[in-house]
Amino acid sequence: MDDINIIEFFLSDFINPKKRVFTGYLILSVVLASLWLLFVKRQSLQSTFKKIFDRKILWSGSAKADYKLFLVNRVFTFFISPLLISQVAISTAIYMFLHSVDSFNQNFFASTPTSIIIALFTITLFVVDDFTKYIVHRWMHKIPLLWAIHKVHHSAKTMTPITVYRVHPLEGVLFSLRSVFAQGLVIPSFLFFFGNAVDLYTIVGVNILVFFFHATGSNLRHSHIDIAYWKWLEHILISPSQHQVHHSIAEEHYDKNFGAALAIWDWVFGSLHLSENKGKVFFGLDTYESGKESRIKDLYLEPIYEIAKILKTFCIKLVSRLLNWLSLIRDLFLVQIKKNKS
Amino acid sequence: MIMKKLKVTTAIIAVALSGTMALSDGYGPFPVTLKGYSGDKTNTVSYSGQIARHVLEQSLKKLAGKGNGGGNAADLEAQMLSYFNGSDDDLPIIAPKSKDGFKIKQTSLHQISKGKNISGKFYDGAMPAWPGNMSGKDVAYNMIAMAAKSNKGFDADTGYDWAQLISKYTMGAMAYNQAVDNYLDEKLSAEKKPNNKPYKDGVHYTGKEHSWDEAFGYWGAAAHQHGFNPNKVYEIAKMKNQGVADKNGDGMVDLKSEYVFGPCYYAAAFDRSGTKSTNYTNTMFDAFLDGRKLITAAAGDALSDSERSQLKAYAATIEENWEKVLAEAVFKYAGSVYKDINKMKDLSGDDLNKAYRTYAKHWGELKGFAMAMQSGKSNLGATATKMNELIGFGPVTLNNSYVTGMDSNGNFVMDRKKSWSDYQLHMLKIQQMMVDQFSVKARANDGLNDLQALTDKLDSASSAETD
Repeated sequence: MDDINIIEFFLSDFINPKKRVFTGYLILSVVLASLWLLFVKRQSLQSTFKKIFDRKILWSGSAKADYKLFLVNRVFTFFISPLLISQVAISTAIYMFLHSVDSFNQNFFASTPTSIIIALFTITLFVVDDFTKYIVHRWMHKIPLLWAIHKVHHSAKTMTPITVYRVHPLEGVLFSLRSVFAQGLVIPSFLFFFGNAVDLYTIVGVNILVFFFHATGSNLRHSHIDIAYWKWLEHILISPSQHQVHHSIAEEHYDKNFGAALAIWDWVFGSLHLSENKGKVFFGLDTYESGKESRIKDLYLEPIYEIAKILKTFCIKLVSRLLNWLSLIRDLFLVQIKKNKS
Repeated sequence: MIMKKLKVTTAIIAVALSGTMALSDGYGPFPVTLKGYSGDKTNTVSYSGQIARHVLEQSLKKLAGKGNGGGNAADLEAQMLSYFNGSDDDLPIIAPKSKDGFKIKQTSLHQISKGKNISGKFYDGAMPAWPGNMSGKDVAYNMIAMAAKSNKGFDADTGYDWAQLISKYTMGAMAYNQAVDNYLDEKLSAEKKPNNKPYKDGVHYTGKEHSWDEAFGYWGAAAHQHGFNPNKVYEIAKMKNQGVADKNGDGMVDLKSEYVFGPCYYAAAFDRSGTKSTNYTNTMFDAFLDGRKLITAAAGDALSDSERSQLKAYAATIEENWEKVLAEAVFKYAGSVYKDINKMKDLSGDDLNKAYRTYAKHWGELKGFAMAMQSGKSNLGATATKMNELIGFGPVTLNNSYVTGMDSNGNFVMDRKKSWSDYQLHMLKIQQMMVDQFSVKARANDGLNDLQALTDKLDSASSAETD
C-alpha cells in the first residue's frame, strides 16, 4: 500500500457524501452553527468563531481519544466487514421467501406510477432504517451486555463530529448488521411487489432524505452547539440539542432521545425529551473514573471485561438455579419413595 | 537415387511449410509429423466427422418442428432417425442452409463426411433428469418419437418444445460428452492413441493429433476465429456476416472449417451478453490451439510425461470453460423462464397462449442444457439431483400441472400442481446454484440483478453510523 492509498484508506469518509463527516456536510455544519450563534444567540463574530473552533473541546483528551478510535476502528472494520453476512445474501433469502408465499402476488403494485414508487421506496427505506436505529440504540442502553459496549460512546466528555466514530468495534458490528437487515428487508420487498421500477431519489448519490439529514447539521449532534428546534418540530425530528441531552450526565436525561433523525419513535415509546434552555449540559458518564475516557486501551478492553463479568454472574446464577431445581426434584423423589414404602 | 532425392526434397518442403504453418493464427493447417510417412498429405488437421455430426444435430432440430399433430408421425420419425442413426444414403443438409448474403458450400452430408451418425457418439449413461428411468440414448429416442407425433414440435399439454430439448440435449450428450469424456480424457493417456503411431492404420496423422482435432471439431469453432471478438463469432453462427466467415474468399462458407456450431456459438453468446466479463471463446480456442501446437512440436515422438501433463492442463481449461458455458446457459434460460412467468401472469387469451409458447421454448432450452451438463465427464452428484428437482420433469403449465413421471405405457403423468410463483422461486434457486457451484460470470437474464444493483447503490456500510 503506498502513501496515497493509506491516506485514502483512513480518510475516505471525508470525501464520501454517504458519510456524515463528508467535508461538504462539515462545512455546512460550520455555516449553520455560525448562523445560530450569530443570529439566534446574538453572539459576536469573535466569540462565535471561538465557540465553534474551541481548542479546549477539539483538542481535549476525550476528543483525542475519538481521533485515535477513528483511525484504529478503520483497521478493525477492514478486517471484520468481510466476515459479516452480506446484504445480498439476506435480500436474496427474503426475495425467495416472498416467492414461496402463495398469497403474495408478485408485481401486485407494479402499475403504480414510477415517481410514486421511487418516492415510496425512498421514504420507506429512510423510515425503516431510522426506526431500526432507534430500536437497536434503545437496546444498547437497556440491555446490560450491550450497555457495556455502548458506554464507550457515552464516555465522551467533549463532543466533536468525530465522536460518531467513538464506538467499540463490537458496536460497529451490531450497527452494520442492523443496516444490512433493514435494507435487506426493504429492497427485496419493494422489488417483489413493485417490480423493477424501484429506485431511489438521490442527491450526489445519497438518499435525498439522508442528504437533508446530513446537510442540515447532523454533525452538530456531536458538538457543543446546542441548536434547538421549535417544540412541535422536536416531536418529529431530533435536534442537535436533543441529542446532546441524550449524552447529558444529568440523571433526568438518562435513557432519553434514542432517535437518530426522527423524534417520532421517542415520542411514541415515551423516551422523548425536548431541548431545554437551562445552560451548559455536561457530557460523559459519572460512573467512569476521570481520565479513563482518554485511554484507548481502557476504551477497547473495559467492555470486554465487563461483558465477561456479566456473563460470569449470569452463569453462576444459572448454575445455582439449576442446582436448586435438581435438589428440589431429588427431594420430591425422596418424598415419593418414602410414601411408597409406607 | 531419384527416390532418395525426392524424399529429401519432400522433407525440406515439409520443414519449410511447418515454419510458416506454425505462424498461422488459426487452428491448422498443421504439418505431418508422423514418422515414416511417405504420402503426399501436408496437413494433418481433420475433424470433418464432427462437423457432419453438428450438421446432423442442426438438421434433426429442424425436423423436430415438422410434425403435423400425428398425421406424418411415422414418416417423420423415420426421417429423424435417419439423421440420428445415420444413413447409407447421402442425406440433404436441412440446416444450416444458404440464405441471402450467406452462401454455404455444402448441401448434403456426404460432401462433408460419409457414414456418420449421432447415435454412435451419444451419452448412454443414466439420465435421471428425464422421466421413465431411461438411459441417455433412450431419452433421445423417446424425444424423437414424441417430436414426430407433435404439432410443429410443441406439446401444449406438457409444455415440451421438442426441437429445443433435442437440440440442446444433443449438444451436451454428443459434443460435450465426446470431447471431455473421451478425446480429452482417456485418449490423452500414454497408452491410448500414442503420438508415435498413426491414429489408425493408413492415416497420416498421429494418435494424439487426431484425438485433439476430434475434440476441437466437437467444440464447433471456425478454424480461423482465433482472437475474434465474440460478436464476430456470433455473427458467423447466426449467418449474418459472410465476409467474416469466408476465410478463403471463395464466396462460400465451408462448413468444414469456416462455420461456427452450437457449443462454440454459446461460448461467444455469453461473452457478449450479461455482464460481458467472460472470455470463454478465446480461452477455449487458445487452449485448443496451444495443445495442438504442443502435439505438433513433439514431431511424431511419443509425448513425454511433462508434455502430456501440459496437454492435460489445456484439456482441463477446455473442460472447465465448456462446463461453465453450459451452466451460463442454464442460468440464462432459468432467468428467461422467470421473466416469462411474470409476463404470463398479466395476460389472457391469445396473448397468453403466445407467451406460453415462448415460455415453453425457453424451458426446453433450460432443460436441454441442464441435461447436457449431466452428460459430461464428471458426475455432478447432489448438484444434479437438486437441479433436476428444481427444474422438474416438465414446466408448470397453464393449468399449473406439470409432468411428474411416465407410466408403463410411456405416457407422461401430470398428477401434481405447482403455483407459478413457486416455480419462479425454483428458477431463482437454479440461478443461485449456477453461481455457487459453477461460478458463472456472464449471468444473462439475472433474476436477482435488480436486487444486486439496488444493494450496490445503497451501500449498507454508509448507513451503519451509530449515535
